Order: sequence, then C-alpha cells, then structure tokens
Amino acid sequence: MSVEKQKALALSLTGSVFAGHRFANYYWVAPLALGFAVWEALTRFGVVPSKSLPTFSSVLLVFFSSIQSVTFLLRIAHSFLNLVCGLLMAFSIALPLAFAAGSKNKFDLTVTPLIMLFGALPDLSFLPLLVLWFGPGNVAAVIMASAAGFFPIYFTVREGTKNIPRELFDVTSIFKSDRLSTFTKMVLPAISPHMFSGLRLAYDFAWEIIIAIEIATRVAGIGNFIDGNVASGSLQSGFAAILAIALVAIAVDRLFFGSLESWARKWA
Amino acid sequence: MENHVELDNVSKFYDAEQKLHALQEVSFGIGLGEFVSIVGPSGCGKSTLLKIIAGLDRPTSGEVRFNGGTVQGPHGKISMVFQAFGLFPWRNVLENVEYGLEMRKVSKKERRNLAEQYLEMVGLAGYEHMYPKQLSGGMRQRVGIARALAVEPEVVLMDEAFSAIDEVTAEVLREEVTDIHRQTGKTFVLVTHNLSEAIELADKVVVLSSRPAKVKKVMPVSLERPRDRTHSLFIHMHKDILHLLKEELENTLIRHKLQGIRELQSIHDIEAQGSTAKPKQPLITT
Repeated sequence: MSVEKQKALALSLTGSVFAGHRFANYYWVAPLALGFAVWEALTRFGVVPSKSLPTFSSVLLVFFSSIQSVTFLLRIAHSFLNLVCGLLMAFSIALPLAFAAGSKNKFDLTVTPLIMLFGALPDLSFLPLLVLWFGPGNVAAVIMASAAGFFPIYFTVREGTKNIPRELFDVTSIFKSDRLSTFTKMVLPAISPHMFSGLRLAYDFAWEIIIAIEIATRVAGIGNFIDGNVASGSLQSGFAAILAIALVAIAVDRLFFGSLESWARKWA
Repeated sequence: MENHVELDNVSKFYDAEQKLHALQEVSFGIGLGEFVSIVGPSGCGKSTLLKIIAGLDRPTSGEVRFNGGTVQGPHGKISMVFQAFGLFPWRNVLENVEYGLEMRKVSKKERRNLAEQYLEMVGLAGYEHMYPKQLSGGMRQRVGIARALAVEPEVVLMDEAFSAIDEVTAEVLREEVTDIHRQTGKTFVLVTHNLSEAIELADKVVVLSSRPAKVKKVMPVSLERPRDRTHSLFIHMHKDILHLLKEELENTLIRHKLQGIRELQSIHDIEAQGSTAKPKQPLITT
C-alpha cells in the first residue's frame, strides 16, 4: 500500500470513528497538549497555589482511579439519564408543536410569540418554583432540562418545516402518498438537517442546566459530586469529574450527532 | 377521436370571495396519445390549470374528465414532471425513481426492475447511486421524467419541465421526450412559456388569454417530426402565437390603464365632495 493510500485509510478510519471532519485531522492535538503542559508547569512550580489548582498529573491520576469506581460512574449515569429524559420530553413536546407552527400560519402566529415570551425568561428563574412543587429531585432536573432543550428543537424544526419546497408536497400527492408516509418519507427527512442542529444545541443547553440544578438542589448526579468535592477541598476529584463529563459529552456529540450529520452531509 | 382528457368549463377563483379570477370557463379536449402544449401570458394560470388536471387542485366550477370519469383528486394513471424537478435530495437516483412505486406497495424487486428500465430509457443507467446534488439540472429532470413514467401512467403532465435547464441540454431532452412520446404512445400535456418548445413538441397548442385565462385559440400542429425550427410553417406558427400573446399583453395593459383612470376618478370624486365619503360608482367599468 502506498503512503498516500495509508494516509487516506487512516483518515477515513478516524473519520468514521469520530464520524465527522472536526477530529479527522490532528492539528488540534498540539495546542491542547500545550495547554496541559502550561497548566502542569504553573502548578508544579508553585506559580498557582495547589489549593486553587491541583497539578494536571494529579488530576489525571485521580481521574483514572475514579473511573474504576462504581459510585463515580453511577453519578455520571444519573446525570446522563436525567439529561436524556429531559431531551426526550422536550423532543416529544416540541416536535408536534413545531410541525404545526411550520405548516399552519395561524397556529404559528398564535403560539410562537408565546413561546418566544417564555424563551426570553431565564430558565433557572423557575427553579425555586419547581423545587417547591416537585421537591429538589430528579423531576425538577428533568423538567428544567426539557425546558432548556425545548427552544432550539422548536425553532429549528419550525424553520425546517417552513423551508420544505411546496413542490415536494405536490410530488407526494401526485404519487398518492398517505399521511403517514408523507410524514415519514418526506417531511421528516426534509427537516432532518435542521432538526439535527436543534438537537445538538438542545443537548448542549441541557448539560449546562443539569449540572447547575445538581449543584443548586443536591440531586445526586455528577454536578453535585463536583460541588461536594470542591467544597471539601479535594480539587483533584472535582477536576476529574469535569474531565469525565467532557469526555462523555464529546463522545455522544461525535458518535450520535456526528453520524446523523454525516448522513445528512451525504445529500444536503 | 374520443377525448382521453376533457376540460369542461373549468373555472377557478383563488380566493373564497371570488375576486382573484384565475381561469374562466376553460374547455378543450386532449385525445388519447396526443401531445398538447399549453401556452399563455405569464401569470395567466397555466400551472393552475395543469394542477387541476392532475387533481392537485380543484376547479371552482366545471370539471375535468379522464377516461370519461370526473377527476376528483390525484389519479394513479396521471403522472407529473415538475419545474424544479421535485426530487427528494436524501434519496439517490434509483430510490427517487422507485418512490411512486413504493407508494403503490410494489414489491422491492419489481420496483427495482421498473426503475432500472426507465432510467435506461432516459439515459441514466449507471447513475443509480448518485444523489440529486451530484447531478446537473438536465440529469435531474431525466430522473423526474423516469419517476413519472415508472408508475406507468396514461397521461404525463409536464409543468415548465425544461425551463430550469440550460438551452442546449433542454434541446436534447426535448428530442428525447419526443421519442418517449412516440415509443410509449402516452398522452402528454406540457405547460410552457417557450413558444418554440410548444410547437416543436405538440400535436396541438392551446393558447390561453391573460388572467382570467380563457382558451384564446387551439392550433393543431401538422408539421412532420422531427421538427425543423427553420421550416416556414414553424416560423409562421410561432409568429401567429406570438401575435396572439402580444394582443393579450396589450389588453392587459389597457385594463391596467383603465383601472388607473377609475382610481383617479374616485380620488377626484372624493375631492369634489370635500370629504372622505364613499366615492360614487365610477363611469368606466372593465
């Protein structure tokens, strides 16, 4: 095999693992490594005191021991489960509303201004009320995550629905497609690129809100773990948890959203 | 000749208040296996008429008959080729052509066979797995034509099917459509604003007036195929149709001017009364 071919194969393999272009080259590795090196240097030589920032190497050590602990992994799973439940809830409420708004003008004019009104309010301002009604637990976390995820899904799907060319509806009619097939074989694929960006944004927003709620209301997820460890002075564990969340977030982003997007890139 | 498709006093208003009049008592027949072109001033309602024939739109009054029965909605035996091709970008060429068959629950194997057969007919064998974005406009329209033919319709409607394609490609495609018409013996109806195209392809050209569209003239084309655009009869016919359309355009302009005079008069009336009272009935009505 020629060098060129090997290179192409290596690229296509990493491309399929990361399912996208962003990680398919390695330019990003050097600045990241440099960042970690600076961190290590600053802490090791005492420029930054260790009670504010532990050394990078000690964080890594704690990280590798933490990910072998079941309770640590369960904490992450707990947060992730709340996040997924929230997103599923957001998706199942936003999708039908957005379709209706995208296709029926009157509905759009009635509902969208109201949704924008709610969207303009800071989500977290409702948290005390949710805690009052549902207690400081998973229910409040899931509802908040779904509120955060609702807006990007609603607006992207609505936009996508509005952008479907009229002609495509004529095509489905002329070939006598029933309502269900029109939805599954035309509308859904037609809006999918919009929908994927909406989902990705919703995912990012929901992560933020999940962690914030765990810190504020002591839901036993990974956010609460970070809060507790930092408060008690074990910064290494806090950083290790942050690192773990970052890895989960990136992995889902690349494997799930990346493969959806690479499907859309094929034709869009 | 028994009419395959018959338009009987088809009228269409775009709105419930019946102010936007698109079609006014349009009647003509289309024979079995005939190729009919419909031309008219832009915005006259040609495409609306085609949609009504397709069953995609309903006439306000009158009816379209197909094989003697009233067209109530999309009909399995009437197929359509679209101006902007109407392809699904997420489906490859083969899957696009299979779409109509899929909606009819044709088995996977059979629809593959049919799709391949019609792709062959439009010269796209070997492009089955390309996506629409990878194809040129002319090739996309070939997919559109193959998709329309794959459901084995009796009537193929073409809505400005060549107008989004560059002229040279369109010329080649027109020749191929002529061949397909001859080979299959299907009935074709083409809406176009391109007069040469209308004459080149059709057995007869229906000329519509400006809005509300009425049938201004039905002109049989007796030229032999393949047609020579430089033939004196061809040129003569082109001239005749152009003349008819220009006449329509002038009528429209006069109507617009009269409308203007009417409005001026209303203003004048209001000023004469020195108030914003309701103006009197204008003297000129169109």
